[in-house]
Amino acid sequence: MSSSTSAKQSGANGSIVLQVFRGDTEGGQEQRFEVPSLEGMVVLDAVHYIQAHFANDLACRWNCKAAKCGSCSAEINGRPRLMCKTRVDEFAGREIHVGPMRAFPLIKDLVTDVSWNYEVNKQIPGFTPPPSEPVPYRMLPEDTERVYEYRKCIECFLCQDVCHVLRNHDDKSAYYGPRYMVRIAALEMHPLDTRKRTGLLHGKAGIGMCNITKCCQEVCPEHIKITDNAIIPLKERTATDVYDPVARIARKINPFRGSPATADRVEAKDGSSTGPQRFSVKDVVRLKTRGHRLARVGSVLPDGKLEVWVLHMNGKVQHWDGPKVLKMSDVSNNYGPLDDVGIGAKLVEQYITEDHAGQHGG
Amino acid sequence: MIGAGGAGMRAAIEAAAAGARVDVVCKSLLGKAHTVMAEGGIAAALGNVDPEDNWEVHFQDTMRGGQMINNWRMAELHSRESPDRVYELETYGAIFDRTPDGRILQRAFGAHTYRRLCHVGDRTGLEMIRSLQDRIVQLGIEVHMEVTLTRLLKHGERVIGAFGYNRIDGTFVAFRAKAVIIATGGWGRLYKVTSNSWEGTGDGVGMGFDAGAEVLDPEMVQFHPTGMVWPPGVRGILVTEAVRGEGGTLTNREGTRFMLEVDPKKKELSSRDVVARAIYKEVQAGRGTEHGGAYLDVRGLGPEQIKKKLPSMYEQFLRLADVDITKAPMEVAPTIHYAMGGLRVDAETGATTLPGLYAAGEAAAGLHGANRLGGNSLSDLLVFGRRAGGASAAYQRDVGLGMIDERQVADEQQLMLLPLVGSGKENPYLLQQELQQAMQEGAGLAREEKSLKTCLDQVLELRQRAARIHVPGSRKYNPGWHTARDLRFMLTIAEAIVRAAIERRESRGAHWRLDYLEKDPALGRVNFIAYSDGGRVKLKTRPVPEMPPELARLFADSASASQPPAPRPPKPQPVRK
Repeated sequence: MSSSTSAKQSGANGSIVLQVFRGDTEGGQEQRFEVPSLEGMVVLDAVHYIQAHFANDLACRWNCKAAKCGSCSAEINGRPRLMCKTRVDEFAGREIHVGPMRAFPLIKDLVTDVSWNYEVNKQIPGFTPPPSEPVPYRMLPEDTERVYEYRKCIECFLCQDVCHVLRNHDDKSAYYGPRYMVRIAALEMHPLDTRKRTGLLHGKAGIGMCNITKCCQEVCPEHIKITDNAIIPLKERTATDVYDPVARIARKINPFRGSPATADRVEAKDGSSTGPQRFSVKDVVRLKTRGHRLARVGSVLPDGKLEVWVLHMNGKVQHWDGPKVLKMSDVSNNYGPLDDVGIGAKLVEQYITEDHAGQHGG
Repeated sequence: MIGAGGAGMRAAIEAAAAGARVDVVCKSLLGKAHTVMAEGGIAAALGNVDPEDNWEVHFQDTMRGGQMINNWRMAELHSRESPDRVYELETYGAIFDRTPDGRILQRAFGAHTYRRLCHVGDRTGLEMIRSLQDRIVQLGIEVHMEVTLTRLLKHGERVIGAFGYNRIDGTFVAFRAKAVIIATGGWGRLYKVTSNSWEGTGDGVGMGFDAGAEVLDPEMVQFHPTGMVWPPGVRGILVTEAVRGEGGTLTNREGTRFMLEVDPKKKELSSRDVVARAIYKEVQAGRGTEHGGAYLDVRGLGPEQIKKKLPSMYEQFLRLADVDITKAPMEVAPTIHYAMGGLRVDAETGATTLPGLYAAGEAAAGLHGANRLGGNSLSDLLVFGRRAGGASAAYQRDVGLGMIDERQVADEQQLMLLPLVGSGKENPYLLQQELQQAMQEGAGLAREEKSLKTCLDQVLELRQRAARIHVPGSRKYNPGWHTARDLRFMLTIAEAIVRAAIERRESRGAHWRLDYLEKDPALGRVNFIAYSDGGRVKLKTRPVPEMPPELARLFADSASASQPPAPRPPKPQPVRK
């Protein structure tokens, strides 16, 4: 198509102006393009026009152009969206800025390196049915109904892009992100799955990092209620499993009563024996040998010992001292992870306050 | 393993389970393959809803739909094995929609005698690909994402590896493999109005062809009757057959439900070729909708059921066309959907005509004959993906790794680099658009000798011009450069389609010749095969495999009489030879 054709189209239908990010790891900037507008055109159509007529090497991912594959994710006027589903007429003549997802390292133009997501996915234990379950499976509709919503996910990673935990942390080690909360929810709520992933959620997957701002569910092109229907129920499950409600109430009455435990059996103050104690990184524990002091688990060592950071209170200022290596039997309670935010953190904060008050009062 | 759609992943799972080391190579990110676009369901004669259903009925439906030029053995294996493949998918974590007593629910679909399609709303393909993807991850199978392979490497006649490039940085890669499976899907991007993603460029089949494998039934390209027509930006996007399966009706501008006349028995759920032609005919006769289609109306289902059973259709029309399908009808017209043709394979193993090379899924041919039934593609992927994976794993146990011939690699490198260094002036995107336009006009739904010959000339001219493509920029994630190579495969396949379409002087299934409206019994006994003769596309015929008597008896009553004859074109009928 020659430039005269494009001029004709633009004369007949008007034209739209796009500012498309062009660049790579060495830097880049927006470039202005004018594209003839067609009725019902989406941003991806405009990008294709630019590729065909002005910039053959403009990099963008796309596959289906029907909002089913989740490949053409980008930030359009600052908002994470699918290019194939964003109509140009909604911008009513304003310039359309198209840039790459910012939470992921840039490769070129609109293409980013999303491989981290695939690595995270590998860490999630897959569907595990009971080995003796007869095939074909029988699953009642009322039991399968809620799983469908999670399984609508097209892995566009827009929720990961908008998640401020992932976006603001250079190192994405603290949280798997909304996409994988949805995946874990699908597995956890599968009627025939036998595996528990709450330990993972509580630990490495970092569900406590989410402070429920719901940005992820606002950008989801599949309208999955990510926060309401995946993350919050998982937080509840995690709380139930990791902070057993019975033990939690017991702890309120007597902070020295043991909670669920793994590595060895510990004697609570009242002499009753509790189950195996579970610890993971960032769990807050009480030191038996040092009065009321709290400590945070740095790592669980292979020989069953714990590397901990001990909490010191100095008026209202607190600091962590360590690391120190302790035996499992040196610690008693597991209060769950000390997170910046979230259910686990609130619970622990409460105990820290109580503990602090207790120390001073006693 | 080339391709990570349904067939590729199922084959990889099987080969890995058989103890082979498997590497999956795919052009896109994992889980984006065209399989996700499959909406309506997967056909398997479970008999959960209609207990009368069984493999024999499914087999007959498939053969009749394919106008009896299918490979009967593939159709038999397919209908016998697909129930187990569906059940197996649930052990990978898939959850189909259910009957009240907890079994897999099945819906009606075009030309299936019974309610047979297992589905998850209208996103069955996504469910399938995600389940297979999860399984691949669980098994720890290595996936090379965003790597495009462009040439099979051979030692003598045997395929011993493949060469290609990393899309991200443009570096070249070569794989040595004891066996290679092609599961690269079809070639819907050859046409302008298509329901296919960009990946459907026929490169796997093109590579096989270049290496000397045979391509069966290239002329058989399926038009799905219902694609979106308006606005122009969405033209061709699929409207699932499930809309009709759930009771949607087709009417013309005058409000006539024309399918009642075309196929009084199956009505809207006649086979795809029949419905596509009927819509085309209405439009040609001046009874089309405002934008040149037919109305598809599903309002009878009620708003609640529409949103539950057809959620992505509801969303698609609301977002992209400003149409609320609970309140207004959709406008639809035929769109390119599927390639029945592909590499010729052995029914049991998926082995192509070259040692060490296997094919499965849409890239392979034989199961669907002249027209594929809705829902048979997803079961095809699982049944024959598994078979190709198992057979290739068994084959590789007895062979060693081949030696790569450096000259083959150097030749391909040179070909790859040409668009970046050459002095040509041709734009790859615009050439691709010209090809799509030519195929749409000359080798589309309604074909005749004259238009096909014009189309062939255009394709041959484009082949010349493709040698002079120039692409600016570097090798780093350069879609222009990628398109330049894709285009070569597209041109090869286009030529094969057009040449075979010229030779098939009859109307059969998806192949509708305005100048030969009847079926020719002699042509009903042959398949066309395209093969490479020093790079040139040559054709030959091969007899359709003959069914054994115990299966043939199933068709004793009326060979293919359940299909209504091809409609008369609205214009004056050309003189028959």
